[in-house]
Amino acid sequence: MSEFAAAYYDGRTSARREVRVHAYPGMIQIVGEGLRLDVPLAKVRVDPPVGGTRRALHLPEGAQLQTDDHAAVERLFPRRHAFEGWVDRLERGWPWALAAVALAAVLAWWSVVDGLPRAAKLAAGLVPQTVEAELGEQALAFFDGRMCKPSALPPERRQGLQRGFAQLTAGLADGYAYRLLPRDCRGVGANAFALPGGALVITDALVKLARSDDQIAAVLAHELGHVRYRHSLRMALQAAGLAALAAALFGDATSIVGLATTLPVALLQSGYSRELESEADDYAFRRLKEVGISPKAFAEMMVLLEKGHEKRSGARSSDYFSTHPATAKRIARALAER
Amino acid sequence: MAEPSYEPAATADITVLAERRHPVEFTATAGEYFRIWIVNLALSIVTLGIYSAWAKVRRRRYFHGHTRIDGEGFEYRANPVVILKGRLIAVAAIAVYYGTGRFAPQYQLLLWIPLIIVGPWLLVRSLAFNAYNTAYRNVRFRFDGTYWGCTKIVLSYAWVLLMPIAYPYFKHRLLRFIAENHRYGTTRFEVADFKKPFISAYAKGYGLLLLLVLVVPPLVFFATQSNRPKFPIVIAAMAVFLYGAMFLLFAYLRARTTNALWNALGIGPVRFESALRARDLMWLYLSNLVALALTLGLAAPWAVVRAMRYRASKTTAIASGPLDGFAQAEAQQLGAAGEEVADFFDIDIAL
Repeated sequence: MSEFAAAYYDGRTSARREVRVHAYPGMIQIVGEGLRLDVPLAKVRVDPPVGGTRRALHLPEGAQLQTDDHAAVERLFPRRHAFEGWVDRLERGWPWALAAVALAAVLAWWSVVDGLPRAAKLAAGLVPQTVEAELGEQALAFFDGRMCKPSALPPERRQGLQRGFAQLTAGLADGYAYRLLPRDCRGVGANAFALPGGALVITDALVKLARSDDQIAAVLAHELGHVRYRHSLRMALQAAGLAALAAALFGDATSIVGLATTLPVALLQSGYSRELESEADDYAFRRLKEVGISPKAFAEMMVLLEKGHEKRSGARSSDYFSTHPATAKRIARALAER
Repeated sequence: MAEPSYEPAATADITVLAERRHPVEFTATAGEYFRIWIVNLALSIVTLGIYSAWAKVRRRRYFHGHTRIDGEGFEYRANPVVILKGRLIAVAAIAVYYGTGRFAPQYQLLLWIPLIIVGPWLLVRSLAFNAYNTAYRNVRFRFDGTYWGCTKIVLSYAWVLLMPIAYPYFKHRLLRFIAENHRYGTTRFEVADFKKPFISAYAKGYGLLLLLVLVVPPLVFFATQSNRPKFPIVIAAMAVFLYGAMFLLFAYLRARTTNALWNALGIGPVRFESALRARDLMWLYLSNLVALALTLGLAAPWAVVRAMRYRASKTTAIASGPLDGFAQAEAQQLGAAGEEVADFFDIDIAL
């Protein structure tokens, strides 16, 4: 038998009474001024320990005991909270804390560079194509409303583009309804983008920049790769996952911390990742060869885009090159494909 | 203590004796909280976020337990399972929000309409959840403001959208609504008129900001006339200056408005004294920000503990009667979805 000091609250008011608690097998007896109460242990609920804060024992009918005698509570309820008791022990030791720092850092790093992209790929695969097409329609409505006007190219030129595009997509049986949509989008320069579901937007500026139809086909083949592998969906899911991760990591700090963490997250979201780009490149090289176009056209187009970007750099940098940097590596890869 | 001269000395003495000052104690330490924070963070990541509900409860329990008035700590009683359910709902809502932003940005503006309708609901539910799960001396707090009560305030102040300068009037009304609808057990919070100090804090803050913006750039402009720096440097300097000015304004308003509200608050025989100083908060926030940047966020627990310790050190509960006469109210059942969604969107209008 042991006993400890506690404060007793009857559950009806905030009145505090100093009591002694006597522990017997299977029950406790609470003794104070004008108070003698027997409570079976089975009817007592105890909160798991947290960092040296006072322990509360919840009694029937909302009554409560509070005590700082942690040892006595542990003796009364050995192993009552197996899991949170274990967490509490981890929280007490600096070695565990340091291990947690290392673990959190490694896992956070891994999930950003590897885990999130994998999870996003998996999740994107579960989205039905009809949903994708719907998302693409809405994105297109946004482009047409705000950024783009109908193409100003002569009708013969547009027909030529459509013929080339038909050849490029002929026989593709991956379920997507590919469409080429020439547009005049002043704000984004020489550019092309793939919308989920199969709509490809190509700007007049890019058509004018290209020296041959093969070069245009090369860019479009790359964009087909983005559609085929659902890259915009994957990026969106990745961004959402990243935001969730950041919220989990820093969610409990003050709002100023929140401000400081949102910026890098936003930067990480711009453009496709290098990995997705090379996936789309591989697709483009394969497809070009299938329809009898040399991947060399891709390298040529990259060089043209790079030159065009440099010429106008500063003034209008949100063109194709700014989101698809043509590294020497990508050009070399295209030239190596024969 | 200043005694009113027109009262008989004897009465004044009795008043002095009857009033007891209870400075709010805050006994958490940065080291201990750091260990709790990082261990729970690591467990949250390892369990793919599922444990985060338990982590939240542990962190709150730690801070509540270490905040003491008259030697007695607060309790946080939320059930982690309820929080987990709330989080799952929050995640679904956020997925819709992000998805819409990415694929149908034209509808993201439309999403603000439900947010305006849902906003008051989130606020009310979140306050109710937090109040009900906070207890002191085994008596729970309560928030019983209604959705309609909150919506009526939002709608009746819709004109503020056209005149953003009048925002403090809306904020004041909302804080009044929040404070008045809190109870400790069955005892309702009473709020004396705090409109004057509240509005004047904003007026002074805005005035100082305006003065700063009107005076400093021209001064710099003339001072550098002979040796004018390059345009990008000027832009960068302006950005830093504006950000810094907003930062100071934020700290100033936080100090003054918190004081205004808390000095007007009464719960039964208890009233409060809040003496936050603007310059202290400016220094606190600034040094916290620098520490966070230098430690890649690892100083977050230290920063949080430090801010809470400062707030506690400047807050005193003054009781004109015993603290044991508060009665408990009947039990409730509350979900955590409102609290969790509000948490994510940073809707944080606590007292």
